[in-house]
Amino acid sequence: MSDRGLDARIGLSRGRLRLDVSLTAQRGEVLGILGPNGGGKTSTVLALAGVLPLAAGEVVVSGSTWEKAGTRRLPEQRRVGLMLADALLFPHLRALDNVAYGPRSRGVPAKPARVRARAELHRVGLAEHADARPAQLSSGQAARVALARALATDPDLLLLDEPLSALDPETRARTRTDLARRLADYDGVTVLVTHDPLDALTLADRLVFVEGGTVSQVGTPAEVLREPRTPYVATIVGLNLYAAQSDSRGSLTLAGGGLLVTADPTPGEVWATVSPHAVVLHHDRPEGSARNAWPMRVSDVTLQGQSARVSLTGPLELIAEVTLASVAALDIRAGRELWASVKATEVFAYPR
Amino acid sequence: MTWRSRLGLGGPAAVAVLVLVLPLVALLLRADWGRVLGDITGGTGVLALRLSLVTTFSTALGCLVLGTPLAWLLARSDGLVTRWLRAVLTVPLVLPPVVGGVALLMTWGRRGIVGQHLTAFGVEIPFTTVAVVIAETFVAMPYYVLAVEGAMRGLDPRLESIARTLGASDLRYLRTVALPLVVPGIASGLALAWARALGEFGATITFAGNLVGTTQTAPLAVYVALQQDPAAATSLSILLLGVSVVVLGLLRGRWVR
Repeated sequence: MSDRGLDARIGLSRGRLRLDVSLTAQRGEVLGILGPNGGGKTSTVLALAGVLPLAAGEVVVSGSTWEKAGTRRLPEQRRVGLMLADALLFPHLRALDNVAYGPRSRGVPAKPARVRARAELHRVGLAEHADARPAQLSSGQAARVALARALATDPDLLLLDEPLSALDPETRARTRTDLARRLADYDGVTVLVTHDPLDALTLADRLVFVEGGTVSQVGTPAEVLREPRTPYVATIVGLNLYAAQSDSRGSLTLAGGGLLVTADPTPGEVWATVSPHAVVLHHDRPEGSARNAWPMRVSDVTLQGQSARVSLTGPLELIAEVTLASVAALDIRAGRELWASVKATEVFAYPR
Repeated sequence: MTWRSRLGLGGPAAVAVLVLVLPLVALLLRADWGRVLGDITGGTGVLALRLSLVTTFSTALGCLVLGTPLAWLLARSDGLVTRWLRAVLTVPLVLPPVVGGVALLMTWGRRGIVGQHLTAFGVEIPFTTVAVVIAETFVAMPYYVLAVEGAMRGLDPRLESIARTLGASDLRYLRTVALPLVVPGIASGLALAWARALGEFGATITFAGNLVGTTQTAPLAVYVALQQDPAAATSLSILLLGVSVVVLGLLRGRWVR
């Protein structure tokens, strides 16, 4: 068997969505799929599971063809595991029987199936809850049982659709850790759909952004963090992103209006990013070295822990992240007019 | 609640309660309690009751065996055919039972579209206990199918996706997940269908007749008794009331809400 775990092109229509997405992954890899709602993430997962039929394309997992023109394996004929936002445990079965359901359905006799289920529950730290009914489990425990259930059939492809999104923040953090630990010794391909950047950055080896039914960017988390290529991706990684035309001296003319100067020129069509941390706010026009300075108006302020995200409009759209002390000192509030500056060394440009 | 709404809503509500409860009270008040036991055990009462129990439970069984698969198929598809089928299936629900009886004669009677072929083999359905069961099933099955289909539609479709990816065929999913989860719906469907079958009169007397011991169910016996001996009719009615309450009570404790 080759290392090639997943080779898929998914073409289908669902309502107004036209989906055409290609995915490849090595065995053991965790592929994070991100994208705005309605962009095709869940349809991609359901197509891989065999719940939604393909109109075009193919799905090949670990060397065996699950679907291509004219032939289609039913979900029960695919070595696939599925976990959704709600744990969706079978409410009338004990945790142990939920996990044993897969092996039993695939022909394993009752006794070995229970032994396997007990082992899977142990691996997610729930051995002592084997006899619990789903209603007696907390949401985090139910999610871990759902994960154990999905893995108890030794799937070649594990599909996780927003597995943590139904959990409260504290439970989510702990379950994320459990999930990461369990995925580390899973040797199949994992496809993780999420809209939470933290899930994607901490769990995935590679990220695939799906917007409007097509793949808009693929890369490792580090690559994507460094060089986002769509406004959505930039929002996810928390950067200001501009499409621009650069001259050879580092002067950038933004497609949406405005000018930026970078210390590291890349001539031609470029993307330019500015970290919100690099934006400095001032009462008056700043003196000194900053080559990028604009008069701005505050359109929105949101708090995030010890800092504040300030949305600014002016010659360009800009998000700044400043300390709460600066918010107080500069009296930052919606409608306030002030100056924003960014050093040229904090503006990064790369080819579009 | 203000006095105004108390009067405005409470008045009609009280009248509704009276309309429903008063006849039951009257039945109990007018019964000749010294005779009740004798009326029930003597004469045709015990035969009629036994026949009613045998036929209504056969009907319930028929609904369970035939109606559950139908409800499942209806619940899983939304095509044009399904919608028409569902509409057609509810017709017996609103059809006057006597008309149902006539329709059954046209089907299973000696010259009926099916019955004429059965006659050739010496099989005659009308005026037999089988005819009673057919008549009761005809009127009761729609209640069962609609109740169970509703319960099945209430299942989260993602449960099936999960079960299928775990390796369960659709039949295994039905057996191991869907059916256990709709047991309450099946129970209330059975209760509804059984109660409807127990009360069946019009279709039965038209299609199956009124033969003591063979087709004279308890409601028919009550009607006949009323012509000759109203007190005996009251005694039988009280018995039917008691049986209904007991059976529904048994189901209610567990499943029917």
